[in-house]
Amino acid sequence: MSANEGWIGRRVQRREDLPLIQGKGRFAADLTMPDMVHMAVLRSPHAHARLLGVDTSKARELPGVFDVLTSADLDGIGEFPVLWQLPGQKASGIPVLARDKVRYVGEPVAAVVAVSRYVAEDALELIEADYDPLPTVVDVESALKAGAPVINEAWGDNVAIRHIVPGIDATGKAGDIDGAFAAADAVVKARFKINRFSGVPLETRGLVASHDPLTHGLTLWSSSQVAHKQRTQLASVLGVPESSIRVMTPNLGGGFGVKWDCYPEDALVCLFSQRLQRPVKWIEDRREHLMGTVHAREQVQELEAAVARDGTILGIRGKIWADLGAHIHSVGIGPAWVTGVSLTGQYRIKNYYCEVIGVATNKVPSSTFRGFGGPEATFATERLIEKAARAVGLDPAEVRRKNFIQPDEFPWFSAGGGVFDSGNYPAALEKALEEVDYDHLREEQAGLRAKGVYRGIGIGCYIHTSGFGPSFILGLVGYNTSGYEGSSIKVDPQGGITIYTGMIPLGQGTETTLAQVAADQFGVDFNDVRVVWGDTSQTPYTGFGSAGSRSNVAAAAILKAAEVVRDKSIRIGAHLLEAAPEDVVYENGGVQVKGSPEKRLTLGDVAKAAYLAHNLPKGELPTLEGTYVYDPAMFTIAFGCHVAVVDVDLETGEVKIVRYVVVDDSGTIINPLLVEGQIQGGVAMGLGGALLEEFVYDENGQLLTTSFMDYLLPSIHEVPHMELHQQVTVSPHTPGGFKGMGEAGMFSPGAALANAVSDALLPFGVEVDRMPITSNLVWSLLPKS
Amino acid sequence: MNTLHTVRLTVNGTAAEVMVEARKTLADALREDLGLTGTHLGCEHGVCGACTVLFDGNPVRSCLLFAVQAAGHEVGTIEGLARGDELHPVQRAFSEFHGLQCGFCTPGMILATVDLLEHTPQPSEDEIKEALGGNICRCTGYQKIIESVQGAAAAMASGLAK
Ligand code: FES
Ligand code: FES
Repeated sequence: MSANEGWIGRRVQRREDLPLIQGKGRFAADLTMPDMVHMAVLRSPHAHARLLGVDTSKARELPGVFDVLTSADLDGIGEFPVLWQLPGQKASGIPVLARDKVRYVGEPVAAVVAVSRYVAEDALELIEADYDPLPTVVDVESALKAGAPVINEAWGDNVAIRHIVPGIDATGKAGDIDGAFAAADAVVKARFKINRFSGVPLETRGLVASHDPLTHGLTLWSSSQVAHKQRTQLASVLGVPESSIRVMTPNLGGGFGVKWDCYPEDALVCLFSQRLQRPVKWIEDRREHLMGTVHAREQVQELEAAVARDGTILGIRGKIWADLGAHIHSVGIGPAWVTGVSLTGQYRIKNYYCEVIGVATNKVPSSTFRGFGGPEATFATERLIEKAARAVGLDPAEVRRKNFIQPDEFPWFSAGGGVFDSGNYPAALEKALEEVDYDHLREEQAGLRAKGVYRGIGIGCYIHTSGFGPSFILGLVGYNTSGYEGSSIKVDPQGGITIYTGMIPLGQGTETTLAQVAADQFGVDFNDVRVVWGDTSQTPYTGFGSAGSRSNVAAAAILKAAEVVRDKSIRIGAHLLEAAPEDVVYENGGVQVKGSPEKRLTLGDVAKAAYLAHNLPKGELPTLEGTYVYDPAMFTIAFGCHVAVVDVDLETGEVKIVRYVVVDDSGTIINPLLVEGQIQGGVAMGLGGALLEEFVYDENGQLLTTSFMDYLLPSIHEVPHMELHQQVTVSPHTPGGFKGMGEAGMFSPGAALANAVSDALLPFGVEVDRMPITSNLVWSLLPKS
Repeated sequence: MNTLHTVRLTVNGTAAEVMVEARKTLADALREDLGLTGTHLGCEHGVCGACTVLFDGNPVRSCLLFAVQAAGHEVGTIEGLARGDELHPVQRAFSEFHGLQCGFCTPGMILATVDLLEHTPQPSEDEIKEALGGNICRCTGYQKIIESVQGAAAAMASGLAK
C-alpha cells in the first residue's frame, strides 16, 4: 500500500487542532464587526403567569440603548414550528417573545439592544413587566391530575399526545402480549425515573446577525449544528425568502444536540439587525443557558416484563410519561417516541406494547440531546433484564445470552417496528465479561461482602440507532425533516481537491474525518484535501444537520460523490490516452490503462484537460466536479456493552467506580484516535447524567440549578479510567460499512451503574430505579438500622 | 459606574494599556479591548476554568478578576505560549494525544498544565487530577487530557536531557 492509500482506518492527528491550541479558534463570542451592537434578553421570573403588560419606556431612555422589542412589536412574525409532529399530536409552536402568558422560568419576554452587553443588561432592569401568577405544575403526576392548571389552554389539558406502539412482527402482525404475560413464570414490574439533564456544552449559544443594505439579505453567524435547517426555519418565522438568508457557523464549543434546535434569540438578532441596519450580537450567559436552552430526557416509566423459568423474556409492556416542559420544542415528543419503540433492545422479544404520553409542565422545553431517547430505553431494558434474572434465579449475563438476537438473524425486525442491519451482540458481551474477568469477580464478591466491602458488578448492553435515517421513514412518523446528506467534490485545474459538506463540526473532528475519506478515495495525501463547511451559501443542503452520529451518512455521501468524479476522470483520461474507458482504471491518484502503468495520467493532468476543455470526449461537460446526495437506505445499528464495577460505602452512600469496561462496535472506523475520543467523551457524559446532573425545580417551578455550582458537570475527579475495546461489524447498508458512533458512549452508563449499585446492595434488597444515583439517593435507599 | 479607568499591565511580555469601566472583568478586557479571544468564557462564575490565565505566573480565573485589579501585573494568555512558530510542548502534546475536541476548554487546560509542569515536572495521575480538577471539559472524558499531560511531561523531560 502506498502512502496515499488506506486513509480510512488511520490514526491521523487532527487538522482542527493547530488554531485551537493557540487560542486562535473563532467561536461566536470571538466575532466582531464594525458598528456592532449587543442584545440582552429579559426572561420570565415566573413559571406560570398571565403577562399583563410590558413597559419598556424607561429602558428606551437609557443612554446607549438603541432598540427594545416585546411581543407587541412582533406583528407579522411567526412562531418556531414543531418539527416532529407525531400523528395525533396537539398543535403548538414557540413564540419569539411571550404573548399574554409565560409558561416557564426563563421564557423570553423582551429584548434590548445597546452599545455593550453591560448596558443592555442595565436596560433589562428598567423594563417593567406586569405578571399575574398562576398555579404551576412541575411534574407529570401533578400535570395529569384532574383540575390541574392547564399550560396550553387550547389543548384542554396538559397531554400533548397519547401514542400507542403495538408490538408487531416482520409482516406487521401484532404479537400476543396478553398471552405472553399469561404464560409467564414470573412477572417483574418497575417504575423508573429518568432525570432531566442535557448536553450543556462548555460554549453557550452565540449569534451575530448582520443585515446587508445592498442585497437586503441577512447573514447570521450562528453556533448552530444545523445551519440549513436554521435558515429554513428563520425564513418561515421572519417571513422572508430563504434565499435572502445566509447562515454561517464558526467554531462550535460542543453542541450535543442542544444546538440542533432553533431558538427565539435566533429570530431576535435578525429582527434587530433589520430594524437597526447594523450587526447585532448575542452571547448566551451560563445562567441563561441553564434556563433557556432545551433540557432533555425526563421520563417516568412504568414497565413490566414477562419471564419464563429458563430466563426467556416473553414480553414487555408499559407506559412512558415524557415531561416535555412548557412548549413542544422542535422535536419535543420525538425522543420519547424513540424510547417507546426501543424497549426490546437487542433481545428477541416478540411481544410488546408501549404507550407514550407527552405531558406539558411549567419547565424549560425538552428536546434534542445526544442519544435522543435511546439511553432512556437502555436504562429501562437493562434494569428489567437484571430484575428478570433475579426473579428466576439466573445470572444476569446468562439471561442476556438467552435472549440476544443472534448474529445470523439479521436483518432483524424489532417488535417496536425497527429494522436492525447487523450486529454481534453476544460477542460484545463476552468480550466485556472476559476483560473484566466476570467469573472471578463473582467468586470474589461474597468474600468481600464478608469483609464489609459491598462490591457490585453491573452490565449495560446497548444498541444505538444511528444515521438517522431514511427520509421516507422520517415522513411516516411525522418528523418534518430529512435524513440525507449532500457532498460536492471539486477538483481544481491544478488537481487540488475540495469537498463541500453540509455537516457542521461540533468538535468531533469532522473535517479530519471527511478529508480522510476523500483522500482515501482519490489516493492523494490527506493534507491535499480541503474541506469547506459551515456556510449555507457554499455547502450542499443537509436534510438533517449535524449530530454525533451523522458522519457515517456524510462519509457515505463523499464516497458516492468521489465515485462520480473518478468516473469522469476515467472517461476523460481514457480519451486522452486513446483507450476505451472500460480499459482504464483509477488508481493511486491518477488514471491508467489496465496492465500498462506507463500509460498514465495524474488527477492533475486530467483536471487540467477537463478545465481547458480543448479535447474532451464527445458529450462530456467541462470541469471536474461531482455532487451526490446520500439518503440512508436504512438505519444502522451500532451496539456494545459496558461493565461497571463499583464499591458502595454503606455509611455515606458514596459509589466508587473501581473499573469501567467498554466494548463498542460502530462498524467501519475512519479514525481510531477520534473514535476513542468520542466514545470516552460519551461515556463521561453518560456518567454525568447517571451520577450527578439534574435540573432541579422547586414546587413553584423555580429552577434551582442555575449555575455550575448547582448543576454539576463531571470533573476529572469523577470520570474513571475507561478500558475501551473496539470491535467491528460492518453495516451492509452504508457504502463503506460505516455506522454512527458519536452518541454510543452515552447509552449504557446509567444502566451499568444502576445495575452495579443494585448488585452491590443485593443483601439489602435495594433496587436503584432512578438517576442520578447520588450518594443521597443511595443512602436513602439503604435500610436504616 | 461609567467612569473609565486607565489600566497599565503586561500581557504576554508586552506592555499594554486599556481604558475600562471598574466593573469590566479581566477576561472581557483581554477579549474585547486587547483582542485576545483565546481566553474563553464557559460560566463567568468561577467554576469551569475555561478563562484561566497566568497572573504573575499563577493560574487564576480571569472571569473573577476585574481588569483594574490587573494594573501593574503580568498576565499570560494562551496566545503568548508559543515562541513564534514553535509550539510549547504542552500544546503539541494536546494535539498529539487528542486532548481536545471542540477546543473550548483547551486554553485553560493548557495553561493549567503549563503551571503544573513548571512546579511538578513528573506529576503522578493524582497530581494531574488535582491540578486540573477545576477545569471542566465536556467533550473528552479527560482520559486523553491526562495522556496529553503525561506526554508533555515526557517530552519536556527528554527535551531537558538533550
Ligand atoms: S469562565 Fe471563568 S471559571 Fe468559567
Ligand atoms: S474539548 Fe470541548 S470542552 Fe474540552
